[in-house]
Amino acid sequence: MIYIVTAFHAEAKALIKHFGLKKLYEPSKFQIFSGNDILLIESKEGIVKSSIATTFALTKFGAGSKDIALNIGICGAVENAFSKGDVILCNKIINHYSKRRFYPDILIQHSMKEASLESFMHPVKKDSLPLEIEGDTVDMEGAGFFEAASSFLPLHNVHCIKVVYDFLDFEKIDPTEVENLIKQSIPHIENLINSLLKLNLEFCNNTPEIDNIHLLVNILKNSLHLTTYMTNELESLLKDYIIRHKKLPDSIFEFFEVQINSKKEGKNYFDKLRKILHS
Amino acid sequence: MTSSEKSFIAKHFSHVYVEKDVLSHPVTIKILENLRRSQIVKIDNYKEVFCRAGQNYSLQEKSKKLILAKKWGEFLYPGPSICHNFGYSNFFYISNILNCIYSCEYCFLKGMYSSANVVIFVNIEDYFKEIDAVLKNKPLYLSVSYETDLLALEKIAPFSSAWIEYAASKQNLTIEIRTKSTNFQALENLKPQDNVILAWTLSPQEIVEKFEHGTPSLSSRLSAIKKATENGWKVRLCFDPILYIEDWKMVYERFLNQVFGELNPDKIVDISVGVFRIPKDYLKRMKKVFANEITSFPYEESQNIYTYPKELKEEMINTILLILGNFVPSSKIFVI
Repeated sequence: MIYIVTAFHAEAKALIKHFGLKKLYEPSKFQIFSGNDILLIESKEGIVKSSIATTFALTKFGAGSKDIALNIGICGAVENAFSKGDVILCNKIINHYSKRRFYPDILIQHSMKEASLESFMHPVKKDSLPLEIEGDTVDMEGAGFFEAASSFLPLHNVHCIKVVYDFLDFEKIDPTEVENLIKQSIPHIENLINSLLKLNLEFCNNTPEIDNIHLLVNILKNSLHLTTYMTNELESLLKDYIIRHKKLPDSIFEFFEVQINSKKEGKNYFDKLRKILHS
Repeated sequence: MTSSEKSFIAKHFSHVYVEKDVLSHPVTIKILENLRRSQIVKIDNYKEVFCRAGQNYSLQEKSKKLILAKKWGEFLYPGPSICHNFGYSNFFYISNILNCIYSCEYCFLKGMYSSANVVIFVNIEDYFKEIDAVLKNKPLYLSVSYETDLLALEKIAPFSSAWIEYAASKQNLTIEIRTKSTNFQALENLKPQDNVILAWTLSPQEIVEKFEHGTPSLSSRLSAIKKATENGWKVRLCFDPILYIEDWKMVYERFLNQVFGELNPDKIVDISVGVFRIPKDYLKRMKKVFANEITSFPYEESQNIYTYPKELKEEMINTILLILGNFVPSSKIFVI
């Protein structure tokens, strides 16, 4: 599943259209859209709200380690090195207040520019720019999103993508312009998503035999009357055996039918099994 | 790495994280000159990146990042009992670089750190100052390539040559630079020093292909060693770790015959021999990230170290020693 967190509907609109998302009518404080293995949540403005919405989405919909979380939205550029509409993958995210710094793991190639992002609780304008600002770009959500999402997901699957909207000289945000800018950035976002999916699919897979081992262990636990300690040891030994031999030991199936009459008998069978699995 | 991986995974050192304190250090400047296409990210402390929660070690190995930092506090560490001291009583090691560019499946670093990224402490001059002070009181045997392969990173950070040049003026210091690299040409212009040992770790080609990802082949390592001995360098061979694989006897016999078919044993200073062994906690952590033949072996534990069962270990060591006896006197062999 790909979790997308935006602050405003104007930031979400182009993504909803492009990915064919439908509004989810579930009781919630948030506007949520889903479809095609994507879930988009609108957090509203601010570090804390972004953090709450991210946590809500990732827990409510049971995010797993191969899932991806993206914060997509507009930002202001402190540096003159950027132009309006530049799509930026943030390589460092700073919470202006806590001074906590977050570093996404950028393990894949991408077509975006990179820069650091500093998150504030209020809109930042040139004439009120704090002296101690560190980020190349500023927003009001990134740090909240990242701190929350990286509590649930591995760092290579959590990213902030920001589109340069202003140079800290704005008066009013134009929703249509925001929608257009996000729309133009979609090819870059899609490219990143595809690479992340490929990375997770190709390099984070267990063998199917190991995934199914739990069932086998349960059968043996019952037939041999194993204690919890023995069951855990058996599971670990079985995994190791499969990794070394790429299959289960042939003789293991004999242990399924065993009738146990005493604890001692169970222990003897377990010792036999342990010896087989050590080979 | 296959070509399809290359197409979407970022190159090694695509990002360099630099502590603000060392931005203008000459070593930093030199390293960044060699990595002009990398993204530079300024950081306050290397631990912000290296020790983050939620890193995926095995994925990071596909795209290692570089971290440039300043070393503080302790510069010298006592050599662990799990390693050879080659008869030197004051055996110490330094950690000028953390982690390695190679990805050997048996490497203890995989259990030691939560990150596959490489940290270079650029303030090498502070190591020298610290060692100067220690050498006033006692001689030192120093492993300078302990938590990395220094020679393999010579093109990025020329620390092997820096250590050799430093050792040249120190009579009561012996340094060992252990490597799998074939980058001997980086040292070719330096004068061989009596107190510098270049130590090559050698494994059968079958082991190289199966477990030592990204390392040079056995034959190219042998060529580099040959050149080093011909140029007058003191060379140590490390048959360590010896790994248990199917047909290990045949594989290691063929391997040792190949090694001494190409190298003159008289030109080798000494040899270290040891089977795979690893601290218990490191193996536990490795198992969580890497499910492979190395981590899944049913080792035996003794004094918090996992290694092969006693009988197998003895058989492996005795077999290797028996073959080595055909080429070198036992006085040159150190076993652990």
